[in-house]
Amino acid sequence: MIDFAGLSQRAFGDIDASPHKGFIDESPSGGFLVQSELLGDSSIHETLLDPETLDEQSKISQDEYLQLQLRIYRLAFVLAAIFVVLAAFLFGQNTSISILVGALSGILYLRLLARGIGKLGSSQKIVGKIQLIIPVILVLVVSKLPELQLLPALLGFLLYKPSLVIQFLLEPKVQ
Amino acid sequence: MDSITTAASVVAAGLAVGLGAIGPGIGQGSAAQGAVEGIARQPEAEGKIRGTLLLSFAFMESLTIYGLVVALVLLFANPFAG
Repeated sequence: MIDFAGLSQRAFGDIDASPHKGFIDESPSGGFLVQSELLGDSSIHETLLDPETLDEQSKISQDEYLQLQLRIYRLAFVLAAIFVVLAAFLFGQNTSISILVGALSGILYLRLLARGIGKLGSSQKIVGKIQLIIPVILVLVVSKLPELQLLPALLGFLLYKPSLVIQFLLEPKVQ
Repeated sequence: MDSITTAASVVAAGLAVGLGAIGPGIGQGSAAQGAVEGIARQPEAEGKIRGTLLLSFAFMESLTIYGLVVALVLLFANPFAG
């Protein structure tokens, strides 16, 4: 015989005994049963699933992602400018132009990658690979033009990585 | 460039791209899966999740780019060509 009275006493008796008034018991799937769910209070879910609330949250998140992209691009441009000027003084004009071409390609690559990630989940199910055409074009152009050098162009292309790392290290911690 | 060097360069270019894309491909797939799951669970953290995904994708995809560059150099600017 199943002791229904004992089971209900165990389930609902914990509501008052629990120090956390919202949570009464851990569900078998690992989540928590909220008191309002048991008592049939669905107003919390209606608020969470409200389309206007979700739209506002999505807009705020998109703005945050856009601001992050802008900060990364700005930092990448600053780093590129510093390296181009340094290379112009230390190695000559051809090297600095190669670094400049590579850095601009790297920023364009990062822009395409960020756009692909921005579309992930909303209009695309996978991140596109169109950004990989940028290093291909860069290597082909550099190998065809005698004024440009391959190694400085590749180093310039990889300048987006320090800017990403610096940006994420300097990012303020959101509480 | 003699025929043996040409053939070896073409085979090496194919191996560089093909083998170099396996690891990043698996990693990017699992990272994208985790990010989409995270966005579905916490839509309010979408911006931070996408930012972190951008960082991880940029670093993972650079491994593919290294292989791609090696392949392109072997094909179009081969240093072993006599």
